[in-house]
Amino acid sequence: MKNYKKVISVLLAGTMMFSLAACGGKKDNNSSSANSSSQDASTAENGKVDKDGYIVKAKNTDSKSKDNDLVIAIEGSVSSMDPANIPDTNAISATRGVYENLVKFDENNEIAGQLAKDWEISDDSLTYTFHLNEGIKFHDGTDFDSEAVKANYDRVVDKNNDLRQRRTFIVTNDDGSEEPRVASVETPDPNTVMFKLTKPWSPFINRLTQFCIISPAALAQYGNDIMNHPVGTGPYTFVEWEEGDHTTLKRNDNYWGDKPGVDTVTIKEAPEAGTRTAMLQTGEADFVYPMPVDQIKAVEGTDDLSVKASDSNIMRYVTLNMDQPELKDLKVRKAMNLAIDKNAYVQLMYSGYGKPASSVVPESISGYVEQPAYKYDLNEAKALMKEAGYEDGFKLTLWGDNTTQEIKGMTFIKQQLQQIGIEVDVMPMEPATINDKIYVDKEESKINMWYVNWSASDFTMDGSLRSLLYSTMCPPVSANTAYYNNKDFDKDLDEGLSNADPEDQKKIYADAQERAWKDCPWLFLGNDQVIFAEKSYLSGVYVSPDGAFNFADAKLAQ
Amino acid sequence: MGRYAIKRILSAIPLLIVISFLIFMFIHMIPGDPARQIAGQDATKADVELVREQLGLNDPLLVQYGKYMKGLFTGDLGLSVKNGKTVVQTIIPRLKPTIMLTVCSMIWAVIIGVSLGIVSAVMQGRAFDYIAMLIAISGISLPGFWLGLELIQLFSVGLGWFPTGGLASWRAYVLPSLTEGAGIMAILARFTRSSMLETMREDYVRTARAKGLGEFLVVMRHAFKNSLIEIVTVGGLQVGGLLSGSVMAETVFSIPGVGRLLVDSINFRDYKVVQALLLFFALEYIIINLIVDLLYGVINPKVRYS
Amino acid sequence: MSDIDKNTSVNQFEDAEALPVQKSRRKEFVQKFLKRKTAVISLFFIVLLLLAAVSGSFVAPYDADQADYNSILQGPSSAHIWGTDEFGRDIFSRLLVGTRLSLASALSATIVGTALGIILGLIAGYYGGWIDSLIMRICDILFSFPDILLAIAIVAILGPGITNVIIAVAVFTVPSFARIIRSATISVKESLYVEVARSIGCKNWRILWIHVFPGTIQSVIVNFTMRVGTAILAASSLSFLGFGANVTQPDWGAMLSQGRNYLNTAPHIVLFPGILIFLTVLAFNLLGDGLRDTLDPRMN
Repeated sequence: MKNYKKVISVLLAGTMMFSLAACGGKKDNNSSSANSSSQDASTAENGKVDKDGYIVKAKNTDSKSKDNDLVIAIEGSVSSMDPANIPDTNAISATRGVYENLVKFDENNEIAGQLAKDWEISDDSLTYTFHLNEGIKFHDGTDFDSEAVKANYDRVVDKNNDLRQRRTFIVTNDDGSEEPRVASVETPDPNTVMFKLTKPWSPFINRLTQFCIISPAALAQYGNDIMNHPVGTGPYTFVEWEEGDHTTLKRNDNYWGDKPGVDTVTIKEAPEAGTRTAMLQTGEADFVYPMPVDQIKAVEGTDDLSVKASDSNIMRYVTLNMDQPELKDLKVRKAMNLAIDKNAYVQLMYSGYGKPASSVVPESISGYVEQPAYKYDLNEAKALMKEAGYEDGFKLTLWGDNTTQEIKGMTFIKQQLQQIGIEVDVMPMEPATINDKIYVDKEESKINMWYVNWSASDFTMDGSLRSLLYSTMCPPVSANTAYYNNKDFDKDLDEGLSNADPEDQKKIYADAQERAWKDCPWLFLGNDQVIFAEKSYLSGVYVSPDGAFNFADAKLAQ
Repeated sequence: MGRYAIKRILSAIPLLIVISFLIFMFIHMIPGDPARQIAGQDATKADVELVREQLGLNDPLLVQYGKYMKGLFTGDLGLSVKNGKTVVQTIIPRLKPTIMLTVCSMIWAVIIGVSLGIVSAVMQGRAFDYIAMLIAISGISLPGFWLGLELIQLFSVGLGWFPTGGLASWRAYVLPSLTEGAGIMAILARFTRSSMLETMREDYVRTARAKGLGEFLVVMRHAFKNSLIEIVTVGGLQVGGLLSGSVMAETVFSIPGVGRLLVDSINFRDYKVVQALLLFFALEYIIINLIVDLLYGVINPKVRYS
Repeated sequence: MSDIDKNTSVNQFEDAEALPVQKSRRKEFVQKFLKRKTAVISLFFIVLLLLAAVSGSFVAPYDADQADYNSILQGPSSAHIWGTDEFGRDIFSRLLVGTRLSLASALSATIVGTALGIILGLIAGYYGGWIDSLIMRICDILFSFPDILLAIAIVAILGPGITNVIIAVAVFTVPSFARIIRSATISVKESLYVEVARSIGCKNWRILWIHVFPGTIQSVIVNFTMRVGTAILAASSLSFLGFGANVTQPDWGAMLSQGRNYLNTAPHIVLFPGILIFLTVLAFNLLGDGLRDTLDPRMN
């Protein structure tokens, strides 16, 4: 009997489950359309960031740190401590603790002097003369002077050293021939160094923000093993680098500038987002980057934690292969842009912490000009599709990285484009596999759409556009997967490179943006913000728009 | 038995050679060009070509294979493409955390798993059996990341008993080894139970009971001993799966082990590192297999290999 | 067990106690099975799942792909009994519709892997010698490849998609079955009835199939039920790594992985798929245990 009772109860439970389901009532089931928010995004909370950049402000502002050692938890890893051979922003951040450059980006993202106190550019834009600060010494006691700068330059351009940074100074053509950008480096006296360029190149000074100066004595001693023994002029000296685990630096008490407030800095690698948040909550970490928006609610309860946001130079978009028959027509591309609710995009993907794209580049790039928005308008979009002869829509593939975030974004695009009859096949792939499929000859290219993002580490307009939209930069040469080919646009970019005059540059790049925006080579999506979290007893650490974190002025309240 | 062991070790060498060849072919069959990854987003085709040259990727496959094999014998496993360190330098510091964690996980998983299995078998049908079953099933079906993150929330953030990561102290080992060992514990518990259920019904066990031996001795000396072979087999099989468990634990608990290194290197198409790691795992597996087979001989003297 | 001739026994001993009547084997099996309550419940659960797999899309309250940006990440409520996900899609509906994909892929992968593993194990165990060594070495090689790498490689080479996921998961399953069947075969092949079969001139494959294989069934069943659970989780890991079937289709494993970052803020996204997977794995295991016990002649 017991058996039967059990059997019947299970059956009942099962039927209940199904009847609940059936009675729940079916909602309108015609085409899985998305009920997206209206243009004002008045529903669902907006990404509220107060004027000081706080998303969540710690209530307990009097908290004290239990020690004077800063711990920063990051998602990626510090893959190298050789500043001339760096593939990612985490490495840039770590090396910036130990090394410095002639010039840097200050907190307002403008070029400011660091090792150089000022500089001049000749009228023909070919000669850059830097006047160096005096009395600076490397961590090993040797002097910093113009010879040191030259020694570093020579090291970087030496082919035998296999350094990534060499590409900044030497252009390799398709046929293998090389053109140096710098004709010569001269050191008339210990405090002056002159770079003579072969051709005018306006990004030059921006690129110098990544050119770190290593002690020539140390270079002589360690050669390319310098990555294990960094010796620079920075506010911290090197303690240890255990790849995959942590990097530790110590305050440089002989630093020539304002000394940092903390004793040591440890950059700890914690790949799991949930764990990073936990580290902050337990106090094992004082600063966490990146802070995923999905976790923000989780920390709202802790009273000594703050979450902050700042602008980034990340551009998120979908490239549209303009050679694809369906995508050839501007009307279609425009319709697609109109069918995407960018406010909903920012809301869903970044909980509102970001902005819909308003130009081909983010606001933080100098020369940015706001373009007329492609307001979310399904009727207009459908009308355009009809005009173009695609009332019944068509099918397209969408490629992208296979991380959870990217897949989420691609799913959103699929849902949106479904509204105008475009059926999207989402195909996430490993980055290496995507590269394989993209960088092929034009005839073999199968790309339709690519969900991707870009950030120009030198913050220049050229750096943000050339590889992506210049006509000769189509794969397999570079990343112009829209196969965008606009001669006027190309001309603008070329002029912008050679003409370093700021006023002219403004006009030239404004024109370039307008052209690219009107032609819709992409689905313009958004610019998300950089979000990080910290303990309220920490100050002086921030994240620049390129995702590099700065801790030169860190202070822990004791 | 000594001769058997030596014979097995010797026969492992050709096996390793075959495996190294397969590993090489395998990796190069996977699509994806490391040169482009390394050169970066904004590299031009010419830049990428330069990188390919530097990495020796333009050499015909056979030549690359030749260099690789030569390197194996001279101990020169090549350079990691991420930062130019040698492969050996890259892998060695990360071996210790993984090995330590794996050993810890195995120890508790074996002890608890087997014990649970034995007791469940003895108490079959009673409450203990069902509860143990539920625990075991949870071990298999709960996703590793969920378990790890929940443990962190409960014990690190909530109670503050254990750190959220790293392997700095003995405390730091607790949560990650729980996470990594859970699956193995579950499988061992299930298999031990089912194996014990069978052996306990065998005639010789009834005989032992009839002889008047205490229940404990009956279970342990007779039933368990005969189940041991199957248990050891299954246990040995799980070690291969420890790697995936280790990747999950290493990621959630920020441990710099070879599991994470393997996944990162695969994503980066850092061929040389991946090859070296795979060889390491193959070696580890062969050794463990050898130990398992030798254990067969120890457990059951009747099983001898000629 | 042979059937006793009913007529003779009843006729001869009419006046004495009636001898127990021999039921048909099938009825005996069913009765024995029904005694195992947990196995029965599990069977019902699995049947429910199968029903869901077949009728899911018709019965679900919402369209599984219907997004509603105004109600994202909501917990269980009267409108959505199991809450909504990051796109506002109803989780209950997605899980219901996803039953088909998840069960089908896990089951097919396990069946394929098991079948291959059994064949290989039987052959290796029975014939021994160089065939045995060869097959075992192949299994060794498969084992020593970490399964993530194997999965990535298979899917990267063959391309994403459900068939290839099934292949990848089936490949993991083969070696462990082969090994286990092989050891079971080795112990069975020395037994008396096999020797008898051989001595009367039975062909090898007949011996394998009719005599040796049934002796290994118990190991097969238990292992199979365990592997189905593993298969569901393996598919989930693959989805997590981005190699699953069409990522926008509802699938338990994919839903589990996609909820990873919401553990603290919207735990229901991981909770419900997790519970479902847990119950399914539990059900298969209990069923397997029940079947194994039922088939065991020594148990009542």
